Amino acid sequence: MPRCTINGVEIEVKEGTTIIQAMMAHQQRIAHYCWHPGLSVAGVCRLCMVEIEGNPRLQIACNTVITEGMKINNTSEKVKEAVKWGLDFHLINHPLDCPICDQAGECGLQEQYMEFGKYDPEMAEPKQKKRKVVDLGPRVVLDSERCILCSRCVRFTDEVSKSYELGIFNRGDRSEIGTHAGKTLDNKYSLNTVDICPVGALTSRDFRFRQRVWYLKDQNTICNGCSTGCHIKVYFNKEGFFRVKPVYNAEVNGYWMCDEGRDIYRFANKENRWQQGWYRVDGNIVELKPAELAQKIQSLVTSQSAFVVTGQFTCEELDRAIGMFVKKVGASNVFHWQNEPERWNDFDGILLRGDRNPNTRGLLEVFQKLQINTHWDQLIQKLQQGMIETLIVAAPEGVTWYPDFKEKLSIFSKAKNLIWLQSVKRKEVEELPHKSLYVIPLKSYVEKNGTFINYAGLRQSFKAVTTVLHETLTLDQALGLMLGSWEGLIPVTQNASGVTANAMTLVETERPKDRVLNETRKRNEFIFQRGRL
Amino acid sequence: MKETKVLTEHYDKEEYRFLEGYQKWGGYSMLRKALKMKPGDIVEMVKASGLRGRGGAGFPTGVKWGFLPKNGEPRYLLCNADEGEPGTFKDRLIMERAPHQLIEGMLIAAYAIESHKSYIYVRGEYNYPIRVLEKALEEAYQAGLLGRNILGSGFHHDMDIYRGAGAYICGEETGLISSLEGYKGQPKLKPPFPAVQGYLKKPTIVNNVETLAAVVIILRDGPEGYRKYGTEKSPGTKIFSLSGNVLRPGNYEVPLGFPLKDLIFGLGGGIPNGHQLKAVIPGGSSAPVLTAEEAMRATLDYECLANMGTMLGSGAVIVLDDRQCMVDCLGNLMHFYHHESCGQCTPCREGTGWLDKITQRILSGQGQPADVDLLFKVADNMKGRTICALSDAAALPVMSFVTKFRDEFDYYVHNGKSKVKGKVLAHAQMYH
Amino acid sequence: MKAEPKNFPQSGASSAGVGMWYLTGILGGLKITLTHLLRNLFFKKKRITLNYPEEKYTYSPRFKGNHVLTVKKDGSLRCTACMLCATACPAECITIVAAEHDDPRVEKYPIKYEIDMLRCVFCGFCEEACPVDAIRMGPEWQTPDLADGNFIYDIKRLAYRPQLKGGVLSVVDDEERHQAGI
Repeated sequence: MPRCTINGVEIEVKEGTTIIQAMMAHQQRIAHYCWHPGLSVAGVCRLCMVEIEGNPRLQIACNTVITEGMKINNTSEKVKEAVKWGLDFHLINHPLDCPICDQAGECGLQEQYMEFGKYDPEMAEPKQKKRKVVDLGPRVVLDSERCILCSRCVRFTDEVSKSYELGIFNRGDRSEIGTHAGKTLDNKYSLNTVDICPVGALTSRDFRFRQRVWYLKDQNTICNGCSTGCHIKVYFNKEGFFRVKPVYNAEVNGYWMCDEGRDIYRFANKENRWQQGWYRVDGNIVELKPAELAQKIQSLVTSQSAFVVTGQFTCEELDRAIGMFVKKVGASNVFHWQNEPERWNDFDGILLRGDRNPNTRGLLEVFQKLQINTHWDQLIQKLQQGMIETLIVAAPEGVTWYPDFKEKLSIFSKAKNLIWLQSVKRKEVEELPHKSLYVIPLKSYVEKNGTFINYAGLRQSFKAVTTVLHETLTLDQALGLMLGSWEGLIPVTQNASGVTANAMTLVETERPKDRVLNETRKRNEFIFQRGRL
Repeated sequence: MKETKVLTEHYDKEEYRFLEGYQKWGGYSMLRKALKMKPGDIVEMVKASGLRGRGGAGFPTGVKWGFLPKNGEPRYLLCNADEGEPGTFKDRLIMERAPHQLIEGMLIAAYAIESHKSYIYVRGEYNYPIRVLEKALEEAYQAGLLGRNILGSGFHHDMDIYRGAGAYICGEETGLISSLEGYKGQPKLKPPFPAVQGYLKKPTIVNNVETLAAVVIILRDGPEGYRKYGTEKSPGTKIFSLSGNVLRPGNYEVPLGFPLKDLIFGLGGGIPNGHQLKAVIPGGSSAPVLTAEEAMRATLDYECLANMGTMLGSGAVIVLDDRQCMVDCLGNLMHFYHHESCGQCTPCREGTGWLDKITQRILSGQGQPADVDLLFKVADNMKGRTICALSDAAALPVMSFVTKFRDEFDYYVHNGKSKVKGKVLAHAQMYH
Repeated sequence: MKAEPKNFPQSGASSAGVGMWYLTGILGGLKITLTHLLRNLFFKKKRITLNYPEEKYTYSPRFKGNHVLTVKKDGSLRCTACMLCATACPAECITIVAAEHDDPRVEKYPIKYEIDMLRCVFCGFCEEACPVDAIRMGPEWQTPDLADGNFIYDIKRLAYRPQLKGGVLSVVDDEERHQAGI
């Protein structure tokens, strides 16, 4: 365990720790671009310069291993000057198109220039022209002029995704990132290159030009795209959700996430969801508030009912909803809808797993706890025999990963009454010619608190990010209202009279304050103050 | 005034290029002698001789060989024949005139470091030397001097020629290794050093052609015999490539410590047409320039030149007389480094381009008074900030040119034309 | 009227008697009115007021009135949809929807640019925030309308309204910028 002194602070580090790792671990500021904790050391940006006592030359912190008694310092004038010029070298051929660059606002170059920059550019020569708006693959767009050639993306495809698509071509200041001949950047993890790009050279085709990043807020949650349960951050504002990025979690996903998981935000956006509950009367659609509809159909839920669940709900929801159903109807009528169970143990070697449900383990735990051991064939048998009057289906949110969705839908429509609980809008359901179909929109997973248990049994709790549709219900609320046993689940205020009114109240009390407006107000105050100065 | 021909003693003989002729003049007897010695003894012998790398950095060869870890991993010997430094043409002479001397030196070195595979990385443009080397290798294999069980000693060694693709940076040790591995020719981060983790991540020794050829001489004369020439810290003889405004340019072998004045005015025959000496670049284009007055005092050894703020480098002495415009010369150099920067480290990638653009702008008559200081500042901040020494190689000439010939630069930016030639020398496009 | 004007000062030692003290003031006032009347009737050039709305006052070119979106030489919008104006706007009256342009050198352009004139406070921050001189505050200011929906100005109205005669040319030229490599 060598001991060293960094900027006057004595610390003890593990054998083999580099200076930059030690500085990061001890919250010391140091400029860097090419170094990324999840990738190998390239040492090409030459920004993480430090002065080591006894060494006349400045050393780079990312490739210098700490030895006993090392005295390191990156606040001296010499280092500051080196970093200033290092940044200036980065900028001399960097185009000034921050206004149209998607990275502006979260750009490494902007941030570090504010902190370490020279503020006195002396470059007066014409800049090097390179290719702009190059399609590297279906999801990633390259702007070579903005690229500072830190080689993070190249190292990512070489070391993490092992797909070897990217390379640096040509040399000197004519160097450019590009794909090797005949290849496109289309691996399953390609958008990670966009995340690690410290400038706006690589941008996501999906997010490109849709929002400026300073209009977005973010919050951490867990990806519901597969049973790995990556730690993610969703970016949203009052207009909806815009993108998903991975958050470092050493136990689950490291620094990365897959491209498919980045699409999950779409399911939560308004345009992909039913705003109201609905059912058909004489071919006409009648819309009703979800809570009202749930209570209206209380009478349909009899002992002849069955409940179909998927592993797409939180442990808490499943526990309460199935618990209530079992209490009222019985354990033999709860069924697990498994999508492609034969692929469940598939694994692509990096993150993505065959089981595309985030909480299959959680569901199985609930089944075990409530001693439910039904089989899918029993449901089909019962449906064919007409033993099921009312079928409640808690349909999945990530429908794209349910290739058997249509097929299963036709099986379910054999039931006399079909109560459909789902958070996303599906055309297949709307087009169902079923006479007695009741559709209750549910909350999306970003709108509720809960716990997912991943493939390895790791329990991960997450908090609601925001509320998109206020009147939608969680699975347990919906079941509770349908079964008439929702009391005790949700606090009810006194100003209500009658059950319907109570149900309305529970939704009302849940409405959060409009945070977006508050923040906008704050932002404007800031602008005003700045205007005054 | 005469050359001291030790290494190049028989280079004037046509037959020396072939195995038969080489053996006639005592060739491969040193290999026989070496194969009877212990490898460690040879390393000690080279250490004692004080032989310093002839490629440019001047690192003691024996010490370098001693860095190899003793972990039983396969080791590689690479011969750096990627002679790219502008002004240098000494390795070419050795490869053309005495390929077997190089092969013998490499075999001795390989035996000393217990390597069983070596490569000669030759500059791609050296068509003729490559053909000569190929022929020599063929001869050596046929004579049992290469391959399995060399001369019945039980030592086996294979040698190959690898032809570079013409990048200056591949003459840098780790860049050469990258190129040889099949990657883009870019220097690698140190540590780990090649002696620990080099070619294919195995311990590797990279030596210059002249260094390896000199090993034969050390074995023949012994450390003391080798130290007969040269100075205490820079022993032995060295081939200097004299070029520029001299009467008789060419390769001259002289002992280290030889006065620069004698090389230029004695062996080189002086400056033609009665012109005056203006400046000398003593060690290839990346060495800082010497003024005429400094050049008169300088001796050709590592210490004296280092004290004068320049370096011996690869021994390429470029002589400039008073007809040369220093701004023009710098423009030429900057264009070269801009073109040859590998583009890995930011200060070098962007800095060489920046320096090139500034000098070309000055040359075209569009210079600003602040440009001269800016040149110095940019160069100063490129120096010592990168993985390899290319950015230093680009920065040092700039800094020395600007400091020592400031008047010419100032004249150019103020008057928009060359002080020496009296006209605008905008020729930047010519090179593109 | 029996009110005694106790508090008023007596208008000198007038012999006109008590109660006639105000006459001089009234006459003075009438004189001013009459002068203006006569001047406005017979000396048109000296008039201070305008016959609004037939006549309108011309403000200085620096007046900050209704917004104008400038155009490039080819007549397309100069705006790059960077949303800095929308960010700077204290009234939040600017709505921009960006899209990707076919030309890689233009890259980003607005497909929707709307200013809610009823919300706008004419502070001019948008003009200051714009990095490419795409939005300016023009000289127009009297723009009444009948429905509030008409006060949401779109691109057509902001950049190509008839008064602008084909659009105002921006000082920032893309071609020059690309050549200079900025």
